[in-house]
Amino acid sequence: MLQSIKKQLHNSVDLADRVIKVGEVDVGFVYLKSMTDNLIFSQSIFEPISNFQGELSVEELQQIIKSNDVSQISEEEILKNVLKGAVVILLSNSEKIVAVDIMKYNTRAPSEPPTSAVIMGPREGFTEDFQTNISLLRRCLHSEKLVFESVFVGITTKTQVVVSYLDGVADRKILKEIKKKLENIKIDGVVDSYYLVSLLSGRPNSILKQIGTSEKPDIVAAKMLEGRVALIVDNSPIVLTIPFVFLEDLQSSNDYYTNYVYSTLLRFIRVVAILLATLGPGTYIALQLFHYNVLPLKYLITIANSTQQVPFTPFIEILFIMLLFQILYEVSLRLPSYLGLATSVVGALILGDTGVKAGLISPPAVIVVAIAKIALYTVPEEAAQITLVQYVFLLIGASLGLLGLIGGMIYFLAYANSVENFGAPYLAPFSPFIKKDNKDGLFMVPVGSMKTRPHSFKNENEDRLS
Amino acid sequence: MRVLDKTLNAWQLGILMFVLLFANKILVLPSLLYEGAGFESIFIPVLLFLLEFGLVFLFYRLKTKFPNETFAQILKNHFGNVVKVIIFVIFMFFFLSKAVLLYNVTYIFFRNLIYKDYSNFLFLFCIIPIITHLAVCGLRVMGRTAQLFFPVIIVIIAFCIVVGFFGINSKPLLFEGSLSDFVLTTLKHVSSFGDSIFLFLIMDKAIVKKKQWKIVFGFSLISAILVVLVTVVFALSYTYTAFLHPYAIFEIMSYVKEYGGLGRIDIISMVVIIIFTYFHLAIYLKAFMLSFHEVFRKVNFVYPVITFNLIFLVVIDFFILNLEKAVVYGENVLPYIGIFPFVILPIAVGVLLLLKKRKPEKKDENYMKKSGVEVDETKKVQNSGGKKENLKMTDMNTENLNQVKAFSNENKKDKKFLRKVIGRRESETAN
Repeated sequence: MLQSIKKQLHNSVDLADRVIKVGEVDVGFVYLKSMTDNLIFSQSIFEPISNFQGELSVEELQQIIKSNDVSQISEEEILKNVLKGAVVILLSNSEKIVAVDIMKYNTRAPSEPPTSAVIMGPREGFTEDFQTNISLLRRCLHSEKLVFESVFVGITTKTQVVVSYLDGVADRKILKEIKKKLENIKIDGVVDSYYLVSLLSGRPNSILKQIGTSEKPDIVAAKMLEGRVALIVDNSPIVLTIPFVFLEDLQSSNDYYTNYVYSTLLRFIRVVAILLATLGPGTYIALQLFHYNVLPLKYLITIANSTQQVPFTPFIEILFIMLLFQILYEVSLRLPSYLGLATSVVGALILGDTGVKAGLISPPAVIVVAIAKIALYTVPEEAAQITLVQYVFLLIGASLGLLGLIGGMIYFLAYANSVENFGAPYLAPFSPFIKKDNKDGLFMVPVGSMKTRPHSFKNENEDRLS
Repeated sequence: MRVLDKTLNAWQLGILMFVLLFANKILVLPSLLYEGAGFESIFIPVLLFLLEFGLVFLFYRLKTKFPNETFAQILKNHFGNVVKVIIFVIFMFFFLSKAVLLYNVTYIFFRNLIYKDYSNFLFLFCIIPIITHLAVCGLRVMGRTAQLFFPVIIVIIAFCIVVGFFGINSKPLLFEGSLSDFVLTTLKHVSSFGDSIFLFLIMDKAIVKKKQWKIVFGFSLISAILVVLVTVVFALSYTYTAFLHPYAIFEIMSYVKEYGGLGRIDIISMVVIIIFTYFHLAIYLKAFMLSFHEVFRKVNFVYPVITFNLIFLVVIDFFILNLEKAVVYGENVLPYIGIFPFVILPIAVGVLLLLKKRKPEKKDENYMKKSGVEVDETKKVQNSGGKKENLKMTDMNTENLNQVKAFSNENKKDKKFLRKVIGRRESETAN
């Protein structure tokens, strides 16, 4: 049997198999060295067995092993258990097989996630180990109603996906729909939670984000308290939350740890920033190409003076700067931090300044693109979507002017309004307008005044504050 | 087409009403009214809005009497299929004509002000995809999107009106013009109103509880007040030169050009007009689609869209694209169309209301109880949005229908009424 297992695992270098004699009985061990705790194996399994006097039976074996995770398995389950990090023990005098789970692999400690840094509030972030993530969530929600259910997704990877929710709060129908979708996924592998995003989205081809993502346990716990379902995917520090509405990305965990009036101001600033990022470059081009007569005279003169040397059309000029920025962004992401800094300096200062001095680009165009790109990162979770929309509106502004830009905006918002995820309208609680949910919408009230759970999606218990 | 079938709540309906009643009345109408009737023209919108509210009230009464039926079903049941088809053909013609006028006026406005060197095709290229998208996505999506723009629109219009007061430079006297001018101008521009007949087309989709009707009426009232205010401010600002300033909402802002270092803030009035134009044209297209669907029942939704856009393009290219021609078209051709919303439709609805003398819901329920049909209470509560209300006919299934049929055969006295109930239910099921 040992030979068969070795063959099935293609004689993997980390596969350990050993046979020892205990009295008259041959005892065989099979495990993966890379996935098991060597110390526990020696002290809790190997030592008690090798020191055993007499004829070893399966029942006695289960008694002497110093571990609380001992189970009998069938022959078909051997491979699965070995791959999971268990030690499989075979006895020559018995058909029964014993597996002891002593899985151990290196994981990083929870640290502050780079995508959601906070000034105040908890700094812990999820890690790649799903069990660590479960413990982080348990620490936030000490409740017997906190449920973790496991589903395996991926024909090859068999990735463990933990469906987590608060019983009596999360809507049963939504939960059922999520589980059904997960069970129906027939993909070879899920190596990160993002794989599930498109598989669970109602409109997988849409550019709109339809599943919530977070790296912070406090955010996920807060969302679960609102009635959402969290999906913890093994090997991914990003936890998914369902249902998702756009407002979630407009909110920041900082908002709840500072004064609510200040948080309201910040949310307004984020909305203005989104509008600047989306429509800024397009509007600049539209005004320059189509509606220069509506520009104030002084501003028009400034633009005319600065653009008269530029050999390109305004559209090409803006597109060139935007692409340059995108290239620099990509480079700075992929290079080591010390090189990334140097690239930023070269890109932003030298290229920009020299470009203006050489007359290839104009200062107003640089300023417009810079504002749009900086504004983009006030809502980093939506940066990818806004970047795409930015290019679309740039094209519309350059070809159709103000009429086209407003038309494009209406088109886009109508499209967003037609998207519903697990029964939650994408733009709720703004449209449809839900008065109660707007207590935590653009305006924010103190947490004590948020007496009900969101009405944007279904949940089983409306009241938060009794 | 799944999205098309979705319903509208009171807020969304109210906002669509606001768009319908307000949109095309703030651009050239105040100037034309002033030209025809002098300063007394400020009373014309008041008068015509009263008629418009009359239409909304008629719709409310009809909706109360026939809560689960479409206007087409009601017409068919009471007047026959031919009358229904004729009325819906007029609906199609009405909305198409108004769409053409609205497009022309807006085109000329933009052409004169911000798109001096560009052809009509650029406009069409902007407008047709957007209005088609809005109309095809459905009423709910349209209502929700309009809901997003509503606060912006209200703030801008209020700002425009406040700013417009700074431009008032005269105190014209009332009652100096002649009554005949007043009447003639009112009749000439009657077709600028009457858009609320759109409500009749979405009768089954408007899910408004009894207490929520005030929201719909409230939005209608807000739009009326704002139109009257714009007309008054415009009349006071351009007492002697109204004919030189055709675009009311834009003209009342012209005093603030370069005001206080803020630059051209008059542009914001243009933004409002653009937003209104898109939504208003989308509603017209939607109205055309719904009417088309009632006339040609089995056609796909693509056909009314193509028909509307084709006629729209042909009419526009042959017709106007010139303010004088647009005004002639609006003043000489469209007034006849105004007969439909203000004469034909109210008469038809009045007759329908007279015909429907009974209270439908309770009586239907009584008959069903008499006939031994059990009503699912849970379903009743769900259908009425969580509150127990009168049973709606939608709760009847095929089995129940057969039971009612058998009962009606046994009790000849109630036969006629029950036949009507069954007929109505069967046509609902078929739809």
